[in-house]
Amino acid sequence: MARLIRTEKEVEGRFEEVWLVVEEDPLQQWPEGPLSVVGRPAVRQDGPQRVRGEARFTADVQLPGMLHTAILRSPHAHARVKRIDLSPALALPGVRAALGPGEAQGLADEAGFAGEPVAAVAAETYGQARAALRAIDVEWEVLEVVLDPQEAVERGLLTGEPTRYERGDFERALAEAEVVVESTYRTSVVLHNSLETHQAVCQWIGDTLEVHISTQYIWGVRDALAEKLGIPGDKVRVVCEYMGGGFGAKNDPGEYTFVAAELAKRTGRPVRCALTRREENVGAGNRNATIQKLTVGARSDGTLVALGGEFVNAIGWSGWSAPTDGPMQTLYACDNVRTVRYGAKINTPPMKAFRAPGYVEGTFGLECLLDELAAKLELDPLELRRRNHADSNDGKPYSSKNLLACYELAQKHWDRRADVRARSGTTWKHGVGMASQIWFGGGGPPSYAWTRVTSDGRVTVVTAMQDIGTGTRTAMAQIAAEELGVPLERVQVVLGDTARGPYATLSAGSSTTPSIGPAVRAAAADVKRQLIEIAAQRHHLEERVLDIRDGIVVSADGNLSQPLEELVGLLEDAQILGKGGRGPNPTGMSVLTFGIQVVEVAVDVETGEVRVERVAAAHDVGRIVNPLGARSQVEGGIVQGIGHTLSEQRLLDPETGRVLTSTLDAYRMPTIADLPEIVCEFVDRPDEHLTNLGAKGLGEPPIVPTAAAIANAIRDATGADVHELPISREELLRALREAQERAREGAKEHVGAR
Amino acid sequence: MELVRADSLQSLDGGVFIHGGTEVVPLLRDGILEAETLVDVRDVVPRGVDGNRIGAGTTLAELEVDPQIPEALREACRLAASPQLRNMGSIGGNLLQATRCWYWRLKYPCRLHGGDRCHAREGEHREHAVFANDFCASAHPSDVAAALLALGARLRTTQRELPLQDLYRLPDEGNRDVVTLAPGELILDLELPPVQASVYLKAMDRKRWSFPQVGVAAARTDGEIRFGLAGVAPIPWLLTAPEALDAATPLPRTAWKVEVARALVRRAVAAVGAA
Repeated sequence: MARLIRTEKEVEGRFEEVWLVVEEDPLQQWPEGPLSVVGRPAVRQDGPQRVRGEARFTADVQLPGMLHTAILRSPHAHARVKRIDLSPALALPGVRAALGPGEAQGLADEAGFAGEPVAAVAAETYGQARAALRAIDVEWEVLEVVLDPQEAVERGLLTGEPTRYERGDFERALAEAEVVVESTYRTSVVLHNSLETHQAVCQWIGDTLEVHISTQYIWGVRDALAEKLGIPGDKVRVVCEYMGGGFGAKNDPGEYTFVAAELAKRTGRPVRCALTRREENVGAGNRNATIQKLTVGARSDGTLVALGGEFVNAIGWSGWSAPTDGPMQTLYACDNVRTVRYGAKINTPPMKAFRAPGYVEGTFGLECLLDELAAKLELDPLELRRRNHADSNDGKPYSSKNLLACYELAQKHWDRRADVRARSGTTWKHGVGMASQIWFGGGGPPSYAWTRVTSDGRVTVVTAMQDIGTGTRTAMAQIAAEELGVPLERVQVVLGDTARGPYATLSAGSSTTPSIGPAVRAAAADVKRQLIEIAAQRHHLEERVLDIRDGIVVSADGNLSQPLEELVGLLEDAQILGKGGRGPNPTGMSVLTFGIQVVEVAVDVETGEVRVERVAAAHDVGRIVNPLGARSQVEGGIVQGIGHTLSEQRLLDPETGRVLTSTLDAYRMPTIADLPEIVCEFVDRPDEHLTNLGAKGLGEPPIVPTAAAIANAIRDATGADVHELPISREELLRALREAQERAREGAKEHVGAR
Repeated sequence: MELVRADSLQSLDGGVFIHGGTEVVPLLRDGILEAETLVDVRDVVPRGVDGNRIGAGTTLAELEVDPQIPEALREACRLAASPQLRNMGSIGGNLLQATRCWYWRLKYPCRLHGGDRCHAREGEHREHAVFANDFCASAHPSDVAAALLALGARLRTTQRELPLQDLYRLPDEGNRDVVTLAPGELILDLELPPVQASVYLKAMDRKRWSFPQVGVAAARTDGEIRFGLAGVAPIPWLLTAPEALDAATPLPRTAWKVEVARALVRRAVAAVGAA
């Protein structure tokens, strides 16, 4: 029976109450540990297509008569278009249409950052479209520019009301604390740099808009387009078979989609609008910079008594204020916590969600602060974390939490400290650091899947989700194969098309597997139930004695052993159809992910060079569906985290607000040579309260603790307290100098005390 | 734009020379360099190593594995760019590469582009020059040029012979060029005097595919050590002695580069042995 419920839904740490219709989900969770297919490493089902170049990305979509778009972007960080003349552009060879401000969603007449789109041209070739941009005549009214987030906060230039949180009595607890540490941390803007840039191809077929787009949410794109264009949702078909990464920046249709749709309408031709790498790195979103003024008060045994933080998110012209304060509120047991978070609205490119937005930044600050406290108390940093382990989320029980088990897994890596430090010489200093991780990742309803078993015994799972590139197809096939009792290679997953399959949620917030996986399992169970019913009637046996194992229909007494294709082969064109939906999340519980990373670094104290030599990660994300895919997520998160920590930094010209590092020679992501040994372990214990699967998401958790763990390893190696990301040579040499001065002062004080 | 393939040095007549294209093509694409005619000089510029003579058309990839080449130059080649770029880029072209200054690359009307101010000085300059940075704070990116300076290389062009340092000039009010090549002048080969030991050390943002934050080459000849530095001045920088680093004039955010240079110079001295 359909059940109507009111429930809390979380995406990237943002909660809302929603109405949901859920199907009763009678399935019991599978037992813990590797099963026949689930929990065992599976190579990507679409690997061959990818390496052979057969996988069709949006960038590969070529439609007959397709036009190409170039976008005119504001050269000013804040300016209004007083007058614009598109006609010189329209007169140029190959140009078919042009749009000015207001003629498509995302083309602004007030540009709030250097690079904001204001006009667009469609032409036969991209070169013609680009050339035509130069002919567009714009008169700008240049407006006041604010680039400094601190200034924006002081002047009240905010994206919304400040977010305030308090539990207990912070002031009093701080006054009574035996030890207090205060520090200010800064993190810089980093760019997603997905392999495939933001892009869409739009064409109108009659009154239906067909959209090929590199997106994390085909349904979100469908609904946003339908709403803005004033047409029914079923008149928009959104397709994303393969995509080259998103990391949070592709959760909604950008201006490129609206522009392509409008130009397609005006020209009656298919239109591509694809950002160049440079446009991508200016206008397609970023992880915003933060300033974090943090305070911790503790007793001398390390018990945290007060945590306080003032967080400034330098959001840019658009975006949302991510929960930088979240880790401080939730990572540790502490009775007195006070945080305030500001979202500074400044004339810089827009913030977009980026792999655990807010928590990556907030964890850097908090976990560095904790290690500074540990150093002051001369306490083992891991022991300090154990002593402050939280048993509830501010009174709310966890659906499952195995952080202590993660610490246990990490202990052997942590115990390498003495050996690692012993490698230090006069120039290269070695050290080990750690940081703890907390993040969401429970997913939620609604999401649906269908299954189809054809008379050849093959299984198709249909769900209109998208594979952001994490191996979702494979994981879903594993879940269906496990439930149905068929070999993995017999299951095919069809996804990526709103016109072909039921709704599935977005691939963001580490929610894909926990949201859609249970629906796939339910759909597979539905079809299996029918197959058993058919077998029971065919063989005059009771359903309860029948099962399907490895593609064979078997009876409990062993007398029946019939290949599934033989059973359904009787049925010729018949198809056995199943459906399944995602059940609700457990009521009144916090569904969170946990983990720890232990990092070994080598630091050249003369030149400020940092080498990350080893990262050991232990995460608790419930059941692991595909250990191979899970490992890839951990590796990817750590690599991206290393870039954020050491070499990546989006720089702006402080005068004009223009991005200076839009090319990949100037914006430096790690190369394969920069990567450490990565050790990856999981608790792999199903969350008994979460769905029929017990699995949480893993896309984001691995990037959360990396920066702090590296910074803490640097402190362990050198005594330097780094306070800024990236930890450039400049920042590291500054911190080393400061540490030396502190050591000298300390030595003096020590002498004086005698 | 027209592309012609030169078949003899005598037939060269105007146009923009192109060899590997790793520098010229991006500059053309960005509209920083303009050309009606591109002249492919791969058939007329000597290529290969013969004793102490290096054809200007020799690729960095060829040099990095050649045992006849002194260590500093081999290492400078090995640490430059990426394998793909080193397979295409010639040593002659490498000497002529333009700065990575983001203001220059983004066509800000800076002094190198003929304008009247250096945007980096007051702007974002964490990677910029610490020497001769008053007029223009751009940093020269060539690892190879630093190594060749230390090695005391001489060049032969279609018009003259000259020590490598004379290929470069600091830009000034009257002339914004950083090289002294006349129009139509083409570098043909390089000659390396013998050295007893040499080394190239490079500080980077990451381990591969990174221009030098600071590159230090050192070469010992008889009683003398010469140093060539990359990434510290608008041109490859010849340092006569380690103490010359005291004369650096870092900008507010480039003081760290002097510190790094000191460490690398100290290590380079240790590596090539006492003078």
